[in-house]
Amino acid sequence: MALKKARRTSPNAELSITSMMDMMTIILVFLLKNFSANDVSVAPSDMLQLPSSTTSKAPELAVNLVIAKNQVVVDGVAVLDLTQVPDEDNPGQSMIVVPEDEKRGQVITKLYDRLLEKAEAAKTLAEQSGSEDHAFKGRILIQCDKELPFGVLREVMYTAGQAQFGEFKFVVYKVE
Amino acid sequence: MAVKRKGIEGAEELNLVPIMNLVTILIPFLLMAAEFVTLAVIDSTLPAIGPPPPVEEQPDKPPLNLSLAITNKGVTVLGADAVLHPEGAAPVVEGEERPPTVPCKSGGYCMSLDDYNWEELTRTLALIKDEYPDDENVILVPDSRVKYEIIVKSMDASREDKSNRGPDGVARTLFPFVVIAGGAIN
Repeated sequence: MALKKARRTSPNAELSITSMMDMMTIILVFLLKNFSANDVSVAPSDMLQLPSSTTSKAPELAVNLVIAKNQVVVDGVAVLDLTQVPDEDNPGQSMIVVPEDEKRGQVITKLYDRLLEKAEAAKTLAEQSGSEDHAFKGRILIQCDKELPFGVLREVMYTAGQAQFGEFKFVVYKVE
Repeated sequence: MAVKRKGIEGAEELNLVPIMNLVTILIPFLLMAAEFVTLAVIDSTLPAIGPPPPVEEQPDKPPLNLSLAITNKGVTVLGADAVLHPEGAAPVVEGEERPPTVPCKSGGYCMSLDDYNWEELTRTLALIKDEYPDDENVILVPDSRVKYEIIVKSMDASREDKSNRGPDGVARTLFPFVVIAGGAIN
């Protein structure tokens, strides 16, 4: 048979990996081009989809506040769950809100406590280092889901403002 | 020559296996560190708490407090009536709200992000920038039901005018400093 014949003619056939090397080299160059060591990382999911923007400012390291559709997360630790309530003005539709019992006036108590801790820690660190570069400036990175109503964002921003974070940096996907 | 003949006849294949090993290890590592979407940030501050800074005397022009009120009916430009309505604002019919400066494309209520007329908003703001070239601040006053992506888009629309590029290809800067106001808390 043909197969038997072929095997007989070249008993030690080696795999030619040259073409595979070509491919690998191209992939390597492509990946090297995309390489980035970014300070800020996003874990996109159904609950957190960032909006796109034409801004060109690069993100920098700060306290990371994530407002997903179902919860609020500060530096990787979940702080608060958001709930859905029926929308009174649009019957049949629901609306994401901060639960009433988590709030004291406009301030979200759990979030306020957590952010205040972060602010105090950052201030202690700034005092110990003593350099201007590490001074506490109240910067906070906000990753917010694009579908969330402004009402939730406003309460979170107000709470952050009360906890001495006044410089907001909204994280977005960059589009050209 | 003898050497040359040997070079051709006895040509051995380069042993690529060690390089393959290296590349196979590098590729997963680089794949993990690869970034397929670029992140960026938009700066914003809280409205200043405390007494306002002393206003410099500008007898010619009253200060521009440019604000954008964003609702589900469109975007209303506030604080620039001198530019938009030089002959005085159109009279508002009793019992009716004043229509937004930049209404939705479909009229009535804006259903989606693209329903807002962002090009028209940028054009309007460019007109205001012509009158107030030194002003760089804009205050956003969104309704509490407005989605976050619409707020981000309105920041984009007020930051620069992409249709008006200078000779070096840089878009004209309009009002890059955004302050988000709490809006009417109801």
